Amino acid sequence: MTKAERRELQERQRATKAAAKASGPSTPATKPGATPTAKGTTQSLASAAKKSGKTADGKPVKGEQEDTSHLHTHAQVDDTTRGLRIFSHFGLPKSPSVTKGDVHPAIIRVGLQFSDFKITGANARCIAMLTAFKAVIQGYVTPPNNTLSRHLMTHLSPQINHLVLARPMSVTMGNAIRQLKLEISGSDIDLPEQDAKNALCTKIDNYIRDRIIIADQVIQETAGKKIKDGDVILTYARSSVVEKVLLRAWEDDKRFSVIIVDSRPMLEGKALLKALTAVSIPCTYLLLPSLPSVLPHATTLFVGAHSIHANGAVFSRAGTATVAMMAKAHNVPVVVCCETYKWSETVRWDSFSKNELGNLSVLCPLYDLTPPSYITAVVTEVGVIPPSSMSSIPAALGRTIGT
Amino acid sequence: MAATTEATTKDVFDIWTTYQSILKDEEISTPLAAILALTELVQRSDAGTMFELVKALNDGAKVLNERTPNPISLNAGCELFIAFVTLFPHDSDSFSDLKKELVRQGQQYANEALTYRQKIARLALEFIKDDSVILTHSYSRVVMKTLLCAHERKRISVYVTEARPRGLGLRTYEELTAAGIPCTVVLDSAVAYAMNKIDFVLVGSEAVVESGGLINAVGSNQIAIIAKAANVPFYALAESYKFHRLFPLSQYDLPTHRPNILSFPLMAAPTPCRKHPVPLKEQPITAEERNASTLTSSQTRYMTQEQIARNPDVDYTRSRHNL
Repeated sequence: MTKAERRELQERQRATKAAAKASGPSTPATKPGATPTAKGTTQSLASAAKKSGKTADGKPVKGEQEDTSHLHTHAQVDDTTRGLRIFSHFGLPKSPSVTKGDVHPAIIRVGLQFSDFKITGANARCIAMLTAFKAVIQGYVTPPNNTLSRHLMTHLSPQINHLVLARPMSVTMGNAIRQLKLEISGSDIDLPEQDAKNALCTKIDNYIRDRIIIADQVIQETAGKKIKDGDVILTYARSSVVEKVLLRAWEDDKRFSVIIVDSRPMLEGKALLKALTAVSIPCTYLLLPSLPSVLPHATTLFVGAHSIHANGAVFSRAGTATVAMMAKAHNVPVVVCCETYKWSETVRWDSFSKNELGNLSVLCPLYDLTPPSYITAVVTEVGVIPPSSMSSIPAALGRTIGT
Repeated sequence: MAATTEATTKDVFDIWTTYQSILKDEEISTPLAAILALTELVQRSDAGTMFELVKALNDGAKVLNERTPNPISLNAGCELFIAFVTLFPHDSDSFSDLKKELVRQGQQYANEALTYRQKIARLALEFIKDDSVILTHSYSRVVMKTLLCAHERKRISVYVTEARPRGLGLRTYEELTAAGIPCTVVLDSAVAYAMNKIDFVLVGSEAVVESGGLINAVGSNQIAIIAKAANVPFYALAESYKFHRLFPLSQYDLPTHRPNILSFPLMAAPTPCRKHPVPLKEQPITAEERNASTLTSSQTRYMTQEQIARNPDVDYTRSRHNL
């Protein structure tokens, strides 16, 4: 069998399996879904959370719960499952086993906010997660015959799993957790428990302060230098960092105008529009298909990032790659504003191998990858870096932290 | 307070004249002169703490920047020295000892830096084959040294662009010819015409920037683009103190970019065309006038100083990755 034939067979087997699961009896808490859902999961999540923090399922089972399920013919379900097969490798969660230990209410709340897309954005999700972790740590009691430095991580694991089930982990959350693990294992054994817990909470606060808040301030200054009076700044969707850069540049009495490009279904650009017009920055708002008509007027494109990679690629909200490529074609410099804690040592060449699906009725991956050739510069808190030098960020970081 | 301001004014005044006098030595380039001038500032400074010293250095650098015609390469030198001072381990007991050490290191660096061009020339020799035809742009000391060094061992011939408006290419022509190297001056606009006769291009640099690109005399970018289109290698020679933390996003994102560059002159009320003050039909053109107008059309015209001022002195050549 050729590779293509083998793949076809695999797909067919997977489709029949999924269809079999769909038609079979199932309860929300025990069935793994084809993909994690965004909308309509509040109800099922809440009930699931009561049980033990397991997530709701993908489309086939969701169809069963709703009243309209009987309207879905087998063929229709088959069609949609086949259509989703293209991204089905994104979110096939492992069958959630019984969670060892309870999930802290703070984590449950954050999980709900994630899955409802009430908290979006790499920075916001990381800060929300770390803040919830502080509550977990404060509520933690070291079991007898054990040490905090060894056991706390085991205690945190189910909490982390719960968040991952709500929405796949972002690179920022992953990096923060890695740093937290390091701090926990380095925790002084002789410290009284409350002191150790307070020390960890301080470390978390410092991480947020240094790697996000202060980093953003440095980026505001550095990127602000690239904004001059009369510029027309183009931006896409809503990056918390770009918003800060624009507001700060306006505060510094630079007089420019902004074009916000937005796209469905998230329409996050509306929130940015609100924030900028609140301080009277002249803004134009349009959807992605209208981009070519405004590109000749743009001076610079500023975008944010979910993560930046060792090969110079930028992983960001779906649509960013399109905007960046078009901008480059029109000789508009593409500037990515990104803190160093978003750096991932992985190498990414496409948006395909790892992504997340949003709304399921339309094929809607949440992220895409902008190749390094379309990026002019990346502004981080350690300096302005060309994409070809992205792999040197850890070294640059080490130097600034060392001094 | 008054004493310090006096001292600083004296320093401020000194730094520019010091810098100028250092520059009189032909061998010393602007960043090195800046480093030496700042070293002298450290020597004369009465700062008591590192903070004061760095502040004084920054003020001095600012003065130099404001008064120099080409701030980019000067700034590279200033930033290099100030970063060196800031990162210098200052746990010695006596601050004046520290200052002496800084001065010593600054002067030692400048002395060593004078050997850089020689080192670069030796390294560049590997790229120069016998019978090479080389194109260079304007006048660059490091390229001169390299070409003269190559001439001692190999046969080379050199095309050099005129590099208007300053015409520094002609200086290159004079020096190469005096050394016995066959050399021809090429019009800036004839580079594309000549490119297929050229083995490789060799230019100097004002600064190498963070994006991996090059800042050099205006015309370098054009030559680089033509070379790339013709698959001719383009080499740039740069001493390490020319590396700058600038990151230009475009040609116009350079600190040397003045608002009047490539600006259009303000037009007054439309004036009638001066060549034909009276409609031709009504006045017969005399033979004199006819000759005069043909003379004017074939006569060489030159740009006025005002027109030249609307043009840039340097341009930004992107690295291969950023095209």
